Amino acid sequence: MKELIDAIVAMDEEKAIALTDHMIDDNIDPMKILDAYRDAMAEVGRRFEEGKFFIPELILSGEMLNAASEKIKPLLTAANKSSKKKGKVIIGTVAGDIHDIGKDIVTLMLDINGYEVLDLGIDVPVAKFVEAAKDFNPQVIGMSGFLTMAYDPMKNTVAALVEAGVREEIKIMIGGGQMDNQIRDYVGADAFGKDAIEAVKLCDQWIK
Amino acid sequence: MIIIGEKINGTRKQVAKAIQERDETFIRELAIKQSEAGAHYLDINAGTPPDREPADMVWLIQTVHSVTNVNLCLDSTNPEALKAGIQQLKDKPIMLNSLSGEKNRINGVLPLACEHNTELIVLALDDKGIPNTGEERLAIIRSLVEMTRNGGLPDRNLYIDPLITTIATDTQSGPKAFDTMRKIKDEFPDVHLTAGLSNISFGMPSRPLINRAFAALAIAAGLDSAIINPEDKELRGMVKAVEMVLGMDKHCLNYIRAHRSGQI
Repeated sequence: MKELIDAIVAMDEEKAIALTDHMIDDNIDPMKILDAYRDAMAEVGRRFEEGKFFIPELILSGEMLNAASEKIKPLLTAANKSSKKKGKVIIGTVAGDIHDIGKDIVTLMLDINGYEVLDLGIDVPVAKFVEAAKDFNPQVIGMSGFLTMAYDPMKNTVAALVEAGVREEIKIMIGGGQMDNQIRDYVGADAFGKDAIEAVKLCDQWIK
Repeated sequence: MIIIGEKINGTRKQVAKAIQERDETFIRELAIKQSEAGAHYLDINAGTPPDREPADMVWLIQTVHSVTNVNLCLDSTNPEALKAGIQQLKDKPIMLNSLSGEKNRINGVLPLACEHNTELIVLALDDKGIPNTGEERLAIIRSLVEMTRNGGLPDRNLYIDPLITTIATDTQSGPKAFDTMRKIKDEFPDVHLTAGLSNISFGMPSRPLINRAFAALAIAAGLDSAIINPEDKELRGMVKAVEMVLGMDKHCLNYIRAHRSGQI
């Protein structure tokens, strides 16, 4: 397993695939293989936080995990499958803002870390967040915004969730260019995260 | 290359603080340094909430013009802030940043540009966001150019921004941008092409190197304006050298002069 983890962290895609295939052929517990991928992803995330790894490496490691998951999925027992997702998260860039890079990376990182993510896209109207919150029943909503003019749509979205009576059961996190803890207080969110890795950490804390 | 200096932007924390505290010294410094570095326009973006943005825009313009006579590029989605800025700049060339296919900008920014015959940055996006393909972006540009023409704005006033996305999330970002630039220039030879150059390197290490490589290839694809940090000496040098190598610098005088004055 260590060899597999090392190959993923070293971004050696061919070797990771070969090792994974080999393990599947040898009837190694598929959950163990997936665990190795998660451990590797955690290490990649840690190095990203330290500024040693970069976005393309996050994406490549995510692709490796997705490819492995596709192969492993058919091998999982029903019990394994049902315990697969850690929780549900809604993500979207708020009304008036069309920046998507950060939001897409957060969506990807949550997805590969075991969350079921509903990405509402960019320039998401307040009503769409509320509607999705009712239909999808998430534990967490992540609002993204790059511009200072994203503050008020965020505040309005939180207010609308309160109005709709769903705010209590949902944790709200915000992220993007200008966001900090002061803005978190202004919009009435529960937390602010500076990057995708922090978004995953927040969800891990909230959903145990 | 028409350089638009990007630094007076309220979405940057220090600038936001200076606007809040009416710190004239800080804003003046940004204005002087950028214009001395050869910026043709300075972008002015207050980035404050709509109710206070017109006043902040006016304060920024007055502060900048107290130390330099450089032309300004008024950067806002708020028509009231743009109007207040235009009032301040009566007889000077004005650039507006920006028109796009978004309804609020077509209704709010386009009439102001036509009425005051301004230079105008045009973004290849609409209410659905930034399209993925060059062809879709071109379709947005086509409909917007039709509108500016109908409004009496000559094509040479337009600075079309094909919108550069980062190479970190899509390795084809560069080729896509160059392809879109060439197509726009083929169809509308009189327009300018501009771009926020540093977008290409978002999320990558050693960004200045990527920005320089991108600048060189983008100029070859027709880019003749850029929204950048004008104080980036290496980037400035690259631009001058590329223009010369592409045969755009008669007798190489721009390059030689920039060398002699220590600009590059």
